Amino acid sequence: MPMRLELRGVLKALAAPLLPSAAMLVAILVAILGSMPAVAAAAFDLTQLTQLLASKRAGEATFVETREVSVLDRTVTTSGRLSFEAPDTFVRENLKPLRERVAVVGNTLTMSRGERSRSVALDSVPEAAVIIEAIRGTLTGNRDALQRVFDTSVAGNAEHWTLDLVPREARLRTQVSSVRVTGRRAEVREMQVVMPDGDRSTMTIEPIAAAATSGSGPAR
Amino acid sequence: MAHSFLSFLPSGGVPRRALVVWLLALLAAVFVTVRSTYVADLSAFLPRAPSAGQAVLLDQLRSGVAARLVLIGIEGGTPAARSAASLEWGQRLRESGLFESVNNGDNRQYAALGQFLFEHRYLLSPAVDAQRFTADGLREAIAETVSLLGSPAGAAVKPVVLRDPTGETVRMAEAMLPAQAPRSDGGVWVSRDADRAVLVATTRADGSDLDGQQRALEFLRTSFAPHTAQGLKLLVSGAGTFAVASRAQIKHEVERLAIAGSVAIVLLMGAAFGSLRALAIAVLPVGTGVLAGIATVSLGFGQVHGITLGFGTTLIGEAVDYAIYYLIQAHVPRSAGRSAGDSHRDGQRGADRWIVRNWPTVRLGLWTSLCGFVALVFSGFPGLAQLGVFSVAGLIAAALATRYVLPVLAPDGAPGLGLRRRLGAWTGRAAAFAPTLRWPLALLALAALVALLWLPSPWRGDLQSLSPIGAQALKVDAQLRRDVGATEAGTLIAVSADSEAAVLTLAEQAGARLDRLVVDGALEGYDTPARLLPSPATQAARRASLPDADALRRRIAEATVDGPIKAERLAPFIADVQAARQQVTLTRASLQGTPLATAVDAMLVPGRAGGSPWRVLLALQTGDRGIEVDRLRATLVGVPGVQVVQIGSELGALYAHYLREAKWQAGLGALAVCVLLGLYLRSWRRLVGVVQPIAAAVLIVLAALALSGAALGILHLVGFLLVVAIGSNYALFFDQVRHGAAGAGEDSDTLASLALANLTIVISFALLAISSIPALYAIGEVVAPGTLLCLLLSAAFVRGPRRERRGHDANGPGAV
Repeated sequence: MPMRLELRGVLKALAAPLLPSAAMLVAILVAILGSMPAVAAAAFDLTQLTQLLASKRAGEATFVETREVSVLDRTVTTSGRLSFEAPDTFVRENLKPLRERVAVVGNTLTMSRGERSRSVALDSVPEAAVIIEAIRGTLTGNRDALQRVFDTSVAGNAEHWTLDLVPREARLRTQVSSVRVTGRRAEVREMQVVMPDGDRSTMTIEPIAAAATSGSGPAR
Repeated sequence: MAHSFLSFLPSGGVPRRALVVWLLALLAAVFVTVRSTYVADLSAFLPRAPSAGQAVLLDQLRSGVAARLVLIGIEGGTPAARSAASLEWGQRLRESGLFESVNNGDNRQYAALGQFLFEHRYLLSPAVDAQRFTADGLREAIAETVSLLGSPAGAAVKPVVLRDPTGETVRMAEAMLPAQAPRSDGGVWVSRDADRAVLVATTRADGSDLDGQQRALEFLRTSFAPHTAQGLKLLVSGAGTFAVASRAQIKHEVERLAIAGSVAIVLLMGAAFGSLRALAIAVLPVGTGVLAGIATVSLGFGQVHGITLGFGTTLIGEAVDYAIYYLIQAHVPRSAGRSAGDSHRDGQRGADRWIVRNWPTVRLGLWTSLCGFVALVFSGFPGLAQLGVFSVAGLIAAALATRYVLPVLAPDGAPGLGLRRRLGAWTGRAAAFAPTLRWPLALLALAALVALLWLPSPWRGDLQSLSPIGAQALKVDAQLRRDVGATEAGTLIAVSADSEAAVLTLAEQAGARLDRLVVDGALEGYDTPARLLPSPATQAARRASLPDADALRRRIAEATVDGPIKAERLAPFIADVQAARQQVTLTRASLQGTPLATAVDAMLVPGRAGGSPWRVLLALQTGDRGIEVDRLRATLVGVPGVQVVQIGSELGALYAHYLREAKWQAGLGALAVCVLLGLYLRSWRRLVGVVQPIAAAVLIVLAALALSGAALGILHLVGFLLVVAIGSNYALFFDQVRHGAAGAGEDSDTLASLALANLTIVISFALLAISSIPALYAIGEVVAPGTLLCLLLSAAFVRGPRRERRGHDANGPGAV
């Protein structure tokens, strides 16, 4: 009997220092287990969103855009096609009611209407660049470009996400108040632009089930 | 001195008359010199234009808008600090009144311009025509404008859409949008490559008004001082900057050269003669020559250029040679028991002997030198012509002063001896030794010839090589230009006509042709004043296409059915169109005082009735590819008064033209020298003997320069001509010495004078060679080694008469 007692005593003595470690171990396990759902639920953040978007290297879509402008007596609706190609190409072609084309490749913005065509350097017209960067940056999943120009916030998850963009520079906020982009998985579905005087434009985008190969947009 | 002066009366009044004449001439020269204007800008070294077209070009380069541009960069600090500095300082520059415009991306300054353009939109917009104001046209135009609204691009149009529903503002903006605009960040222009804010200013002062340019640049620097304290750095570049800097450089160099040249030669002469009196006498022909040169240039050209004065230091070196020849060669050695007075009683004054024996050689040397400089006078560069006239007048004056004045003041040459004895002994030994080097030197000359034949032609110089601006400054300039998009105008279309209306009409026609090239992508764009100031015919046509109030109201009603803007809201539009129908045609005169004036004047050069025609300059933006001149010409066929000017190649062709001419002139000059020598020497053998060393010297120097990789140009050619002209003097003297019957003492005197004379020339041209001004060091680096070689080679090659093998030492004149 005394031997068992001593054994218990020895075990207790041995176990005493272990007890805190065990507690730590348990605590760690709980933390790991506990945080896993947290990881799953937490920040579907800009990094993940842009990675998701960038996985689609090229694409084509049709769009319908409605604009509410205070000075006009009714909303204006345009429709057409748009296409993009990583890393920095974006083309928007209005088909109705007027044929117009805006193409951005790198730093060059080309606007064509009928036979008239003008090219300018995008960085020399920052007011126009705001919208272009919002669209192009989102479609091509360019995180650096988006973060450079906008304060970003992402909500939702990979299935259904919302990206809010607000221009960082006060000067540019006088042109565009905010842009809200919503989409599903790697596809952008809607873009809403709100301007400081209350005018807004909403573009609904319907991706065309494109061929897997990247590259073919409308001719540049 | 006055006493000895008076004791020369027996020779008649000639000496005294000579002195009087000389003093009067000097006085006149001083008078003219003191009242001359001195200039220092480089435009004198732009060639005279042989054709009217090139005259336009050079005129634009000198005083057009390109010459008034100042490119500015702000570096250092944070981007925010740079933007703030650009905005605040840019505004201060505008308010200073020294600049016509200051562009830095800050568009607040354009409010007035925008207002003006808006008010005259129906005269200025390229889209206004009769079709525009039909119902269909109105509908289409309104639809286009509306498609812009609701996007940031339409933000500027929204406030005025009810007054301008057809979007003329937009069409004007489209037409005026530059193909190459700088990057905009923080509301100001910034560089794409570097951390730098950039600005472009246009000075009010003309490009050729260097004082005005300097004032503007100084204001730039002083007004930036508070920002420098914050840690920002200022970069300034541009044509005006270069001109002001090179002027300052030329002035500085000229002063340095004049002082250094004078000091060096005074020291040399002091050492050589050891007597202040001799020095003072030696200075007289030099002073005479320089004053005569300046006065002649001033009278002939109306002003004296700084580079001419810089070149004048070489005149010091040459003019002092005459004095050296006289003072040394006219020296009568004092043997025991004889005094100067005894010599006179013999009737053998040193001066008289010199005049009989040596003056003809010196005079011939003068003629050959003149052959060299006269060729300069006929070159196509006003600057070089000045150098030629300066040197010709100076040399003649110096020679005449030596011939007529010095014998009066120093009838026996230099009284002191200084180092001359030793110099004479040494040169005598060297001259005796030199002919042994004949074969090695001949081989050297041959090697030079071979090298020249084998190497590619070194005559690659161009106008750029005349500019004293250093490589670093040019690099900064190129960077700022790239940042701002102000590329050097490479290709221009010049349109000329007799009146403002005619030239604008032709400009519009040319513009229509160029539009085709832009659409094809061959051209990025072009600048034309017709966008800002259409021709009266065009303005009238646009005005005529504006309908009256009732017709317009009807068409608007038709056009806006189912449209986004109701007809009733467009009353302001109707009112504005009616006002436009009454507007007076815009002319250049009516634009003065408006913000458009500067922009139009940059491209439209008014003519004078009965004089020069009106000109329009269309600058082309060709991008990196450039465009072929032939294609341009083909596109513009049929438009009268049009000329395609490629600035770079035009200037290059001009330079090549003058280089060819200069080669002919140099050849003729050298030939004239040979002819003169031949006439004097009257012997083929002696002529060949004299010409040989000079030709060899030229070959060796040419080969050395070619091997060193230097690009030779017109000024080097001038230098070679001078080597021939001056070097021939040495060859002549050696010829005289080795053919003469003079005694050893006289020979050593002659040789000493040669050595001393050569030394002064080499020193003065060597000073040029280390100058930082290309025009001067080009000449210096050829003439200094060239004349030295001429002396050495003359000593080696010039032979005495064939008799020498019999009686004389085969190596030429005896040693001392």
